[in-house]
Amino acid sequence: MKKNTFNLVELGLYYVLIFFILREWLVPVMELTGTGYLELILFFIALALALSLFRVHFAIAFLIKFFYISWFIVHVYSKQSVFTPAGIQFLLSEFQYNIGITLRADWVQVTDAFRTFLFLILIWMLIYLIHHWITVRMTIFYFLVLTVFFIGTLDTFTEYDGTYAIIKIILLGLVMTAFLFLKRLFTQAGVELNWMKYIKLVFPVILLIGLTSIVAIYLPKSAPQWPDPVPFLKAATGQGGEGELSNGVGKVGYGDNDSRLGGAFVADDTVVLLAESETKQYWRIETKDVYTSKGWENSTYYSGSSTVYGPGDLIQHSLPSGPEEDTKLATIHMLYPYEFIVQPYGLKSISQTSEAMQFFMNDNSEKIVPVMNNNTIQLNNYSLEYSKPVYLYSDLKSSNLENLDPYLVDRYLQLPETLPNRVVELAQDVVAGKESVYDQARAIEMYFRQNGFRYDTDDVAIPSEEQDYVDQFLFETKVGYCDNFSTSMVVMLRSVGIPARWVKGFAGGELIRTNGDMKNFEVTNNDAHSWVEAFIPNVGWINFEPTIGFNNSRSIDYDFETDDEREEELSVDEETEPDEVVKEQEETQKQNTSQNNLFTAIFNSIKQHKWIYVISLLILVGGAAIVYVKRKSWLPKVYLKMSKRKQYGESSFELMYMQLLKVLEMKGLKRKEGQTLITFAKEVDAYYETNHMSKITVAYEQYLYGGRSTKIDMNQMKESWEYLINRTTS
Amino acid sequence: MYKQIEAIIENIEKVMIGKREVAELSVIALLSGGHVLLEDVPGVGKTMMVKALAKSVGAEFKRIQFTPDLLPTDVIGVSIYNPKTLQFEFRPGPIVGNIILADEINRTSPKTQSALLESMEEASVTIDGKTLNIQKPFFVMATQNPIEYEGTYPLPEAQLDRFLLKIKMGYPNAHEEIEVLRRSERSEPIMDLTPVISLDELLALQDQVRNVYVDDSVKSYIVQLARATRTVSEIYLGVSPRASIALMKASQAYAKMQDRDFVKPDDVQYLAPFVFAHRIILKPEARYEGVTTEELINRIISKSVIPIKRYAEQ
Repeated sequence: MKKNTFNLVELGLYYVLIFFILREWLVPVMELTGTGYLELILFFIALALALSLFRVHFAIAFLIKFFYISWFIVHVYSKQSVFTPAGIQFLLSEFQYNIGITLRADWVQVTDAFRTFLFLILIWMLIYLIHHWITVRMTIFYFLVLTVFFIGTLDTFTEYDGTYAIIKIILLGLVMTAFLFLKRLFTQAGVELNWMKYIKLVFPVILLIGLTSIVAIYLPKSAPQWPDPVPFLKAATGQGGEGELSNGVGKVGYGDNDSRLGGAFVADDTVVLLAESETKQYWRIETKDVYTSKGWENSTYYSGSSTVYGPGDLIQHSLPSGPEEDTKLATIHMLYPYEFIVQPYGLKSISQTSEAMQFFMNDNSEKIVPVMNNNTIQLNNYSLEYSKPVYLYSDLKSSNLENLDPYLVDRYLQLPETLPNRVVELAQDVVAGKESVYDQARAIEMYFRQNGFRYDTDDVAIPSEEQDYVDQFLFETKVGYCDNFSTSMVVMLRSVGIPARWVKGFAGGELIRTNGDMKNFEVTNNDAHSWVEAFIPNVGWINFEPTIGFNNSRSIDYDFETDDEREEELSVDEETEPDEVVKEQEETQKQNTSQNNLFTAIFNSIKQHKWIYVISLLILVGGAAIVYVKRKSWLPKVYLKMSKRKQYGESSFELMYMQLLKVLEMKGLKRKEGQTLITFAKEVDAYYETNHMSKITVAYEQYLYGGRSTKIDMNQMKESWEYLINRTTS
Repeated sequence: MYKQIEAIIENIEKVMIGKREVAELSVIALLSGGHVLLEDVPGVGKTMMVKALAKSVGAEFKRIQFTPDLLPTDVIGVSIYNPKTLQFEFRPGPIVGNIILADEINRTSPKTQSALLESMEEASVTIDGKTLNIQKPFFVMATQNPIEYEGTYPLPEAQLDRFLLKIKMGYPNAHEEIEVLRRSERSEPIMDLTPVISLDELLALQDQVRNVYVDDSVKSYIVQLARATRTVSEIYLGVSPRASIALMKASQAYAKMQDRDFVKPDDVQYLAPFVFAHRIILKPEARYEGVTTEELINRIISKSVIPIKRYAEQ
């Protein structure tokens, strides 16, 4: 191989490309760390590249870079001139201070100046490495992969948007790779560089890259096929405490942010609280009122104001509460660090031993947080007094939407302008023929029980930019979990003019113990739930449960006999476990076919940890692929080791010969099927300028075709064999 | 190379310039007990070749010039009434000999051709119910002129099958031709040839050739090639099992020539075109496209699978 056949123009061209690629490294770093002076750092890169390009003597180049770094640091961090004593003094003191800290491994204390210094040194080294890659290896593949990976990682895990950076890097990288590939070809063939020829070869490549890029940019692209892995990674590493991230696979549980709903969920058995109460009931946390077509947000009503209650104070709630004599007590024992109070329906007061405790109820969302000494705290034990609201059936049946409070109309009939009309039309269809508001609401609630809707936490779509969350669920997927059902119901209610809001909280949990009248329930993150509250005129807010497989009790006092509704109403069995249908189905399956237990368990485990399996599988496949691709380098060594371990007799001659053929084939010396061994051996010998292959082959032919009685000198064969195997690896 | 065989070939080379391959192939045919069909234009040394071969092994050389009016009896012999003994007496024809040159066999009538070919195959002649075995070695080298077709009777494929090898002589190159002229300038070089081995030695050599080991893997390779000729789309008629036998025997001789006591696929590959080419009938459309049997055989060889592991014993 000829060395250094690069001329200045060519190398300069490569360096310009490298400069632009390096620039893509810097931009996100600057953006994310808030570091300024991009131009100065870019200038440093340009300087280093130029020094390397013009092969400035090492010492001079070193001095220039050193001075630039010094000037940079002094200029940026002390605003003095480096040539003044004060500047030099600053530099020296910085250096002294930071070296000391570095030696103590006290990384946090390191000053920005020193960090910048290290960063510049890093760039310096990187440019050395790139120089080596270009001039000696003539490939920048690793650098490119690293760059793409770097930008990809930043794009995925940070705010930085690397869409265009990636495209730029790929384009520059492809051009660069084409240049270097040609360069390698020329060098290896020992052909002198001819500019005309070079341009003839390079021009079509660049043209092609340009054309394909333009086509690629303008081609329609499908949305990501895989959900965003970040929420899963975060959940898996335990950083997902507050659960649902914007999209993708979330971990089930309570979370504040509902602005982007959709995506699959990973189950989480973490126990959130233990509740002791007479009946199983929903635990309400907060409501949301603004539907954004992607999820839920809070409106600006009451602009964040809260009402403060002390322990035992009667809480003014938008929800009605039941009669005084039905007041009951529930005791809550929080096990998960959530800073809110769960509310049973009909909440009257919160009791707590500490008098200093205050409860702030957000006027907008009705979320109650415990506060002590002006700090939100996590309250582990408290009890709640409540009386479940009872609705008079006659009131419900006679409800109509006339003379609605303008406040309700304004706040709870909000719908996004982008809501597709078919949602409204569907809602109108569903309620057609129902007279009372309550009947209409019930019609919508029951709509999801039929019409092909399915409960699932895995296979749940995320709406794209143009799609409406509710529209997608109602008309396209029909598969989802509580958020889909509850949000859809709220939107449909609002579409027909019934004020409605979205409620978050926990479902009743699992009964673990009965203690006289009191029952103990265990509520886990899996019980995190959302449902609907609608405003029925003359009655007030009343809860609805559209999600398949869940039942929420609302007490209705059937104060007059009716023959149509009541039966149906009764069929809503209060004691039915408000649990996921999926789980129930799985359980019955288990009972029915105990033999399939193991398989079910395995299947469930795979289903639950789908991502772990997928990722492990990918890693395995990737690893296997790398091992396979790299077999050229390790297989011969394995063969050598094998031969050393066991004494090769004549019986293994065939094996040895086959191994040799395989290794040679990996080196690109492949015997054609119709090619006789000796002609192939001659080719191999010509390639390696030896005669060992012929020697072995003649003996092998003797062994193969010469009848069974032939004797072979195995020692000599082994010598030749080892020689050849070693040659293939070198 | 095996000494005695090398001696024969070198002896032939004294008179045949630049025709080592033809000489080798002729010797292979001789050693494996087969016959050769030489195909080429007149004057390239076909007769010289056979003469030199005959002289080198000290064999009797006879020549039959085939003409349209040649009768079978002119080849195999005739019974003549002897008035002295009052009996028919068998007068063997020129075919009864050791090394026979059958010149331009496609000029004679099919009747005569088949008489020749029958005696070639049987190594005997039968006249009036009496069979006379022809003494070994018996080697016929027939020639045919591929250019002139006027008044010829092309040999049917079944007849061609009886020739072990078909060899083309080809013109010598310029240097060789000058050398030919130089040697013929004053004397006939053929006259100076002396035998390098005796007939007995030749017979012993033939025996040795028959003892050259052919592994089952190589046999299967031969069969693989033969069967392949029967499936190629351009071929109308593939080779017969007789061709497989011929290929094996020729390979044995070739192996012996190289002083090896077993046959390798290399031998088979080398000889396959010479053994197979004249036994294959191309489809007319392939012939129009200018495909030659040699090309097809080479293609079959390149696609064949060489046995590279010991043949599994069954």
